[in-house]
Amino acid sequence: QGLKPIVSTESPALIFGTTTKLASDLPATDSFLGKNKVPDLQKLFQKADGLPVHLKRGVPDKLLYRTTMALTIGGTIYCLVALYMASQPRNQ
Amino acid sequence: MAHQAHSYHMVDPSPWPIFGAAAALLTTSGLIMWFHHNSSQLLALGLLSMLLVMLQWWRDIVRESTFQGHHTPTVQKGLRYGMILFITSEAFFFLGFFWAFFHSSLAPTPELGGQWPPTGIKPLNPLEVPLLNTAILLASGVTVTWAHHSITEGNRKQAIHALTLTILLGFYFTALQAMEYYEAPFSIADGVYGSTFFVATGFHGLHVIIGSSFLSICLLRLIKFHFTSNHHFGFEAAAWYWHFVDIIWLFLYMTIYWWGA
Repeated sequence: QGLKPIVSTESPALIFGTTTKLASDLPATDSFLGKNKVPDLQKLFQKADGLPVHLKRGVPDKLLYRTTMALTIGGTIYCLVALYMASQPRNQ
Repeated sequence: MAHQAHSYHMVDPSPWPIFGAAAALLTTSGLIMWFHHNSSQLLALGLLSMLLVMLQWWRDIVRESTFQGHHTPTVQKGLRYGMILFITSEAFFFLGFFWAFFHSSLAPTPELGGQWPPTGIKPLNPLEVPLLNTAILLASGVTVTWAHHSITEGNRKQAIHALTLTILLGFYFTALQAMEYYEAPFSIADGVYGSTFFVATGFHGLHVIIGSSFLSICLLRLIKFHFTSNHHFGFEAAAWYWHFVDIIWLFLYMTIYWWGA
């Protein structure tokens, strides 16, 4: 719409103010088991692109969603057929 | 676009609830097909779709909280109530199995030889592996509390060590219990003793595995800097669940293993 995004794309202020001591604040352990990617991910997931949270990451989310849908909907149809067949009387 | 004038979280439309319900349908009817018609495809499909739904639903909750900031103190309060109520419901679940145990063991019938343990049953020695398992779970309760304190103090390295230790103790318990199951001189088919023993300890073991999985996810999130020193409810929920699992074991040990031997 040409409007500025409602949500700021800068790293948002800490929700709980300045008294929070972030785990990443400790310099000595900064590189222990990887660096902090949370601010980048916060920017990504707060992009004003109108996508719902379960599809926010794009292609990998869509693939997983479609796979789950195929399995559950396909499975439900298979289930109804199997239950229908199981409910048929067996001839002696 | 209007901003919300309240501190609650109105979630984005999500497919996981209905897919989860479908997964439950597939799992339950899959059990029927497995029990009565010697076919396990539907059950496998059900369990797989259940796993996919759980992964994506909980992944979305992490996105909504850690990455989108929707978990205000009000929302967190609701989640706390929710977890407490869930754990309470689980307590009632186990209460049923303890009831069944006492029903049969307080007044053993003539068919059992009028005694408990019933005639012919050689119970496990409570002072051997079961006692070690008790020590393991109690120690894991200490280490998970240590991890919590490390998180609130902002000590990342120590928190990771303590939580890892907790998870390893959980795996150790599971491994020992699996070995006990294999080596036990009685089985689930050995009358009401076998039934009460294996159903009660079996469901407990399942809960240990669930708790260990929950803690493992928390460890992953801890390493990825998701938790802050005063906002880490996911970890607290896992720790509550773990303490609950520990307490259930203590009751199992005192009643079924010790009094019941």
